[in-house]
Amino acid sequence: MIALPAWLTDERLTEDIEPLLRQTDAESLERLAAEAQAVTLRRFGRIISLYAPLYLSNFCSSGCVYCGFASDRTSPRRKLEFDEIERELRAMKKLGIGDVLLLTGERTSAAGFDYLRRSVELAARIMPRVAIEAFPMSVAEYRALAECGCTGLTIYQETYDPENYAKLHRWGPKQDFLERLETPERAITGGIRSVGIGALLGLSEPVGEALAVARHARHLCRTYWKAGVSVSFPRIRPQEGGFQPAYEVGDRFLARMIMAFRTAMPDIDLVLSTRESPAFRDGMAGLGITRMSIASRTTVGGYVESETAGASQFEVSDDRSAEEFCAALRAKNLEPVFKNWDAAYNNPLPEKERA
Amino acid sequence: MNSLRLGSYTFTSRLILGTGKFSSVSAMIEAVRASKAQLVTVALRRFNREQAEDDLFGPLSEIEGLTLMPNTSGAATAKEAVKAAHISRELSGSPFIKVEIHPNPHHLMPDPIETYEACKILAAEDFIVMPYIPADPVLAKRLEEVGCSSVMPLGSAIGSGQGLSTAEMVKIIIRESNIPVIVDAGLRSPSEACAAMEMGCEAVLVNSAVAVARDPAAMASAFAKAVEAGFDARNAGLMPRSGSAVASSPLTSFLGAAR
Repeated sequence: MIALPAWLTDERLTEDIEPLLRQTDAESLERLAAEAQAVTLRRFGRIISLYAPLYLSNFCSSGCVYCGFASDRTSPRRKLEFDEIERELRAMKKLGIGDVLLLTGERTSAAGFDYLRRSVELAARIMPRVAIEAFPMSVAEYRALAECGCTGLTIYQETYDPENYAKLHRWGPKQDFLERLETPERAITGGIRSVGIGALLGLSEPVGEALAVARHARHLCRTYWKAGVSVSFPRIRPQEGGFQPAYEVGDRFLARMIMAFRTAMPDIDLVLSTRESPAFRDGMAGLGITRMSIASRTTVGGYVESETAGASQFEVSDDRSAEEFCAALRAKNLEPVFKNWDAAYNNPLPEKERA
Repeated sequence: MNSLRLGSYTFTSRLILGTGKFSSVSAMIEAVRASKAQLVTVALRRFNREQAEDDLFGPLSEIEGLTLMPNTSGAATAKEAVKAAHISRELSGSPFIKVEIHPNPHHLMPDPIETYEACKILAAEDFIVMPYIPADPVLAKRLEEVGCSSVMPLGSAIGSGQGLSTAEMVKIIIRESNIPVIVDAGLRSPSEACAAMEMGCEAVLVNSAVAVARDPAAMASAFAKAVEAGFDARNAGLMPRSGSAVASSPLTSFLGAAR
């Protein structure tokens, strides 16, 4: 039995959210939606900030049962060379994208820290905002990435249930529950400005997971007052490996969870990716969600020409083009914003390196 | 007396508009026109030279008679704000800079210490410095001393629509100030903007209240009228408030009858 941090089991941190999550009736859902919409409008106005992922590599040293990139999958491994990364980023930029999330698997010799650092450095010359979703690192490594222009980190705990976590992560560095749990704190300490957290919904009992994510967000906000904290709501999608989640997380529960987070945490970004269907994404935009991915490829590369790409981490559900998606937002009287950051704030990136 | 002086600039409109949070660039432009604002603020974050459709600066710069005031929203330190001010001046050509430094990206409360440091540097570099600040009378005087062209205390938290919850502090700032005091942030309704002007503000800055209104242009116009009404009312001299105590027997009879 591992010693969990006190915040993870502190019920007082979530006493306002818990009743909202446990309701199941349609009337309370509608009330919550109205409140979530009003809170979102006040704090964020009518804009949705957009970003797009770029998978740099699908090499991986871990054995996560739910992931299409786990090291026992037979699909070919591939990583982008630096000239390919540059071409991909330029292709993304042509789509208008100004905010990129660079992804890798768990640390391997093929795609380790130096590879990631050089990729960030390259991306920061092209994109105003660069964030990463990669393997957990040390404070010193995060500092080095921040110095290259990395402003954000996304890292999902996957599940906050330590016993289930042990079962789902069959081997590899990701087996260490606590080291992963403390990753956002190391990133902030290293100078990464904002961190995104979340649970992969479907792995463990959903209400418990939602409460744990909320406690984690509040713990980070209270402890690191200058850090940006955002929450994502990934649900398990079909992937190579054919893993079936133990819990079904329905649309109504997911909507309730997002709206409850919005009313309880009015000023943090809530993120929804292309894992979700067009109808769900369009519906939730402005009902709590303030940040969305767009035109996503979950294969390695894929923006220059989609057929060169290898296996995908999961199947995207919303495969609309940037144009189509933006038109849907505009139809809802929401403005898609491609650049909502400036490299001026990527300290300490030298001025001549600005995107 | 009827124009607002900021640095070497004069404006007849006393409504300053923020340009974020709108549902589209065209809705924002319409609201700016309807507000008859002559000064608007735009975040460096929302300058996009590479994609015209995503750019707020380009369309605003085409409006005749409109002065742009870039802002440093996103900066967490004085150093970043100064850097953003330099880039903004280079891109926009405007001498105005709205210094907005919020180390906490969630509640967006301005950092008084970093704001002071940035303003000191930028005023010495001949910017027209317009700091967004907590409603703190001491900080306001400090900023006046380093050469700011105005101070912009918050009425309440940004995007909260809580109105003039800092009214008492803003009144002290106005009473003591030799530079224009402009309430920035928190206003929800035209009546609150009017109240701020009656109180003695030289202008108000509004963004969310207009941007998220059902009809932003109509709301912008309503704010313009309210600001004008408040300014006129102050100049016309408001009658004293009732309710001050009147003693039942004279308090000054001991002074004897007037000679």
